[in-house]
Amino acid sequence: MNDGALPRGPAIWIGRLVILGLFFGAWEKVSDLRLIDPILIGAPSGIARFLWDGIFVNGELLGDLGWTMLGTLLAFVLGSLAGILVGMVFVTSPTVESLLNPIFMALNAMPRIALAPLFLIWFGLGLGSKVAVGFSLAFFIVLSSTVAGGRGVNPDHITLARTLGASGRQIFAKFVLPSAVPVIFNGLRLGLVYSLLGVVGGEIIAAEHGLGQALQLLAASFKTNGVFAIIILLSLVSMCIMTAMNLLENRLLRWR
Amino acid sequence: MADGAIVLDRVSVKFSPEVVAVSEVSLQVGSGEFVSIVGPSGCGKTTLLNFAAGLLPPGVGSGGFTVGGKPPVEGNRDIAYMLARDALAPWRTALENAELGAEIRGVAAAERRTRALDLLDKVGLKGFEKAYPKQLSQGMRQRVALARTFALQTPILLMDEPFGALDAQTKLQLEDVLLSLWQRDGRTVLFITHDLSEAVTMSDRVIVMSARPGRIVADVAIDLPRPRSVRALQKDPAFHKLYAHVWSKLEEGLSS
Repeated sequence: MNDGALPRGPAIWIGRLVILGLFFGAWEKVSDLRLIDPILIGAPSGIARFLWDGIFVNGELLGDLGWTMLGTLLAFVLGSLAGILVGMVFVTSPTVESLLNPIFMALNAMPRIALAPLFLIWFGLGLGSKVAVGFSLAFFIVLSSTVAGGRGVNPDHITLARTLGASGRQIFAKFVLPSAVPVIFNGLRLGLVYSLLGVVGGEIIAAEHGLGQALQLLAASFKTNGVFAIIILLSLVSMCIMTAMNLLENRLLRWR
Repeated sequence: MADGAIVLDRVSVKFSPEVVAVSEVSLQVGSGEFVSIVGPSGCGKTTLLNFAAGLLPPGVGSGGFTVGGKPPVEGNRDIAYMLARDALAPWRTALENAELGAEIRGVAAAERRTRALDLLDKVGLKGFEKAYPKQLSQGMRQRVALARTFALQTPILLMDEPFGALDAQTKLQLEDVLLSLWQRDGRTVLFITHDLSEAVTMSDRVIVMSARPGRIVADVAIDLPRPRSVRALQKDPAFHKLYAHVWSKLEEGLSS
């Protein structure tokens, strides 16, 4: 390792593992010695056993994970498509935007989790109500980033396009859309995380399946290890999603 | 090649009753001529160019103005317009950028590829076809913009301080590139600059304009032999005599 250079390679990973090991070791010990009641903090060994059983032995967690992911995916895809479409309409037609934007802003100001009970009445206990919560979050995030991206077109490009005699469609396809993509991508990344948040939130309130519902059940019966296990699973899933989005972005936006 | 003449007959541009950008300008630019317009900033040089390209809002310009035998119209296919900033699309490679203008004007794919490759070679960017603009220096980016402009193969080129943002060395190099491209197929060039040395180096004639409202105060023929070498001219007494002459005319325009 050189002085001044960022440490690389296995050393940094060993360092990270040591920190995690110390943290979980201390946690285990505190729980074992009952310095803090294990009902409150569980124990890493118990959490690991719960994850192992839920994933590899009885598969219950996998089933719930599947439902949550399906809901997240549906909410994200539908919300993003709708957000991009409406955003593009806003960018191309300022009249429509000035007509609808205040209404949309008011809708977006509603705390979405408070709408979840309403969605439960409308769409039932199943997947539909969870997708609705996730959709209502993702849609507005992707919408505003699409509008911001569409606005960010370089005025020089418009001048150039005009001197070339470009049609409205050509200006849109060759300048407005490609210059909006990086900003839209930021919205998509956030929209995906919020889709997951909406779906899990909806499941916690009332559901037949899903990690949120499992979490709620476990917490209600003070199975703290299970609660931690699901929280860890959810953050792992979130991180995988973010990494996948970053990889996709680096591939699609090589030019940046 | 189509008629490349530009004729202005008592052309005025009034943005409002108080703001007169250009007043009663008459000028004839022959087919294949390289004419520069110099003058203090705000003298309406760029306004004249925008008028020729059909970029002015309707009603502000008056007088007789024909470009290639036609009144000024946006998207005139006889015109290629080059801006001070390169206006490259960052999501396109150098080659794709060089093709962009011809692409918008509907030139067949194979044909525009051939033109773009040939011109990238001519402007000294062979081997950089696949580079994205962020990987290129400012001078290289403006070379791509030159290639994009010439790939349109129009009889008329309108250039608005195309090298204004470059450092002195790069500027001299690009002036040479432009002269050699122009020498090759003799198009009409109307060239806006505030750099007298650049105007004298490149042009057949230098038009000197006064401060706002812009009028023509001198029309100086530059009878230096062609082909010219930009570097050799910098040491040529005839060049310096013409430069001094244009400079005195510019000062007259400022004081009047």
